[in-house]
Amino acid sequence: MKLTKRLLVFAMVAIMAFGAFACKAAEPATTAPAVSGDSAAAPAAEEPKAIEKVVYAYATFNNIPTEETLTTVEEAINAITRDKIGVEVELKPIVIWDYSSTVSLALQGGEQIDVFQSLGDLSTAISTDMCLDITDIIDTCAPESKALIGENWLAACTSGGRLYGLPTFKPIALTQMVVYRQDIADELGIDMSKVNSVSDVTAVLEQVKAAYPDMTPVAAVNQGNLGLSPQNVDYLTDSMYAPKGVLMGDELTVVDYFASPEFANICNLARDWYTKGLVMKDAATTSSTAAELMASGNYFCYIASYSYPEADTAASLEAQCGGFDLGAKTIGSAFLDTSSINALTWMVSSTSEAPEAALKFLNLTFTDPDVTNLIIYGLKDRDYVLSDDGFMSYPEGQDATTVPYTSQLSCGTLGNFFIMYPMAGTNVESLAWELEQNQSAKTSVAMGFTFDNSAVKTEYTAVTNVIEQYLYGLVCGSVDPTTEIPVFLERLADAGMGTIIAEKQAQLDAWAAGK
Amino acid sequence: MTKKKKKQQRASSAPLLLIAAPGILYLLINNYVPMFGVFLAFKDFNYRKGIFGSDWNGLDNFRFLFKTHDAWVMTRNTLLYNLAFIIIGTVAAIFVAVLMYELGQRSRVKFFQSIMLLPNLLSWVVIGFIVYAFLNADTGFINNTVLKALHIEPISWYSTTKPWPFILIVTYLWKYVGVNSIIYMASISGIDKGIFEAAQLDGATKMQQIFRITLPMLKPTIIILTLMAIGRIFYSDFGLFYQVPQQSGRLFEVTQTIDTYVYHGLMELKDIGMSAAAALYQSVVGFLLVLGANALVRKVDRENALF
Repeated sequence: MKLTKRLLVFAMVAIMAFGAFACKAAEPATTAPAVSGDSAAAPAAEEPKAIEKVVYAYATFNNIPTEETLTTVEEAINAITRDKIGVEVELKPIVIWDYSSTVSLALQGGEQIDVFQSLGDLSTAISTDMCLDITDIIDTCAPESKALIGENWLAACTSGGRLYGLPTFKPIALTQMVVYRQDIADELGIDMSKVNSVSDVTAVLEQVKAAYPDMTPVAAVNQGNLGLSPQNVDYLTDSMYAPKGVLMGDELTVVDYFASPEFANICNLARDWYTKGLVMKDAATTSSTAAELMASGNYFCYIASYSYPEADTAASLEAQCGGFDLGAKTIGSAFLDTSSINALTWMVSSTSEAPEAALKFLNLTFTDPDVTNLIIYGLKDRDYVLSDDGFMSYPEGQDATTVPYTSQLSCGTLGNFFIMYPMAGTNVESLAWELEQNQSAKTSVAMGFTFDNSAVKTEYTAVTNVIEQYLYGLVCGSVDPTTEIPVFLERLADAGMGTIIAEKQAQLDAWAAGK
Repeated sequence: MTKKKKKQQRASSAPLLLIAAPGILYLLINNYVPMFGVFLAFKDFNYRKGIFGSDWNGLDNFRFLFKTHDAWVMTRNTLLYNLAFIIIGTVAAIFVAVLMYELGQRSRVKFFQSIMLLPNLLSWVVIGFIVYAFLNADTGFINNTVLKALHIEPISWYSTTKPWPFILIVTYLWKYVGVNSIIYMASISGIDKGIFEAAQLDGATKMQQIFRITLPMLKPTIIILTLMAIGRIFYSDFGLFYQVPQQSGRLFEVTQTIDTYVYHGLMELKDIGMSAAAALYQSVVGFLLVLGANALVRKVDRENALF
């Protein structure tokens, strides 16, 4: 008896100790799937009559619609796709912040998701076999998209010569702009047309600070980001929030981003602004976005990159920024590298049981205006109205937050941006400008190269953690770069930055040799 | 004779087992079945091959934990903070419990108890923002009101490491001291009133009563709760360390714990193998610490050892 009791107590303590571990591991394990890659390749096309069902998971910045609303939109899409390609779709909108983790957990758990997108993490999706190699089925299932997107862009979604996805077709040439309060600029007589680079901005900020001492001239775009990124940098597959080895200039030499003079310049500028009180003090930790800060009326401007013309950018931001009269001024030039194309890539999951059907549906989101507009705007006359000249607006008395279905804010992430109805208030000519920007922007020498980090995964995690610790404080000016950068570089070296750069250089050389 | 006794005992414990059954079932499903996920710690996870089909990769997943001096920092932070919470938290909880007990009048006790319990109902996200309202560099209460009144230069709290151990401990106490004192209050109420009366008759002061009667009587409770806490010493209160410092990179030196480190690394790389490895490391060391602590207690005071 005593022994049993002891055993019980022992077991209970063991449970307590292991409890949290078990909870954490629970997500992937409880729904352990019988995932079989082989069955995915099974030819489902033998019976063309059978309707196949695919799940389309997309990121939304808008409200998640109710189940019934989703069904109505799905039905409208299915009415088209059933006849056209023999496919029925289930829409799976996921809030943008949770998108990557939700999709990866769902795929681990064997939940059905056939089509999903990358949010800057295509190389991870490829290295973990999350997405399917579509090289052999694209010609039969999505020839129109292939022609539309073109070989050059598709090359950005390849690895080892195999194609893994279709990049979102949209204006991708991002230009650095300062978005400012036009009313204040007018009042103080500031001529923004003379502002042509980041260093020109300082004088403007000082003028604003002198006139409005209570105002903070610069807002952060989001946590740890003042928008001060250097120009013409190819991040070589890294996120711009955690760059490691990068290319600067026209040489195929990988350099340490943080050891570069460009990085030091940014930190010094930010520090200068910080000590003069020109920038918000909590930029490194704020959880507010630029739009929220601007709406408070306490800020003069923020610096960010947009892919639309100046006037359109300013006009489209006014509603989110508290209704103030805004202006936008370009202070950088657009630059394209592989990740500007493949940051948003649509993929077929490796666990999909109907990969061909999935790709056929994906094809329609790039080429069929009806399907695309249903996904983005929902049902006509219920979720939006269309003017005679083809502009979209919300029904009388409704807006993006009250209509049953809309994913309007995802317009730059879904399929083909150029076949979506333009929103009322935008300029049609801008589309032509944007298309031209895509073609004319300066392009990186390593365009098409993707880095596979699987050989240096350990170093990657370690370096990323070090970056998180130092980067925000440095680029927001809250720490002194003269003392902090050397410490930062030393910690990076300890974490294996050198190994990453060497590996990157080796892969880049191999890529260049094979070109 | 003994057989009969055993049978009787079994009969009497049957209903109790039945009551415990749902809880045991829950533990089995929630805590034991998922343990198969431990495989992941030794695998190179591949979505197509699944959990059991993925290739083994030995101890590779553990390498990243010990790659940098971060391993040392986070282990140190986790252990020291938990140690501080166990010691200061226990002392504070007993202190509050004794004070509550001495209040006597039920209405007063109820009032103070409710007030002390309230913070426990707030989530860490909310508390994170309350702290932020105090410490914000531009508009925070401390910089704008307290320090201004004292004519001290404003401090950029979220990039200054020194005060954070203190801030975190105070925040922890504010949230948990009320709820932790409940168990001690219950134990104190369970002490035979006669003992106190006898002590009073013998002329013992209040202080003597507390130190000679209350505290010794609380010893078993303290030991069990402390052992439980030691079992979790390798786990950190994720919300406290993640939400309250607002994920400020500058503070990682003093706020990074194993849980937040793993979370940061994983959100960036989404590597399930590494997270499983870190979780296993936590569990194994935590388990060993329980055994160790219990062995220590058994050596000192066999009566009170857990097993």
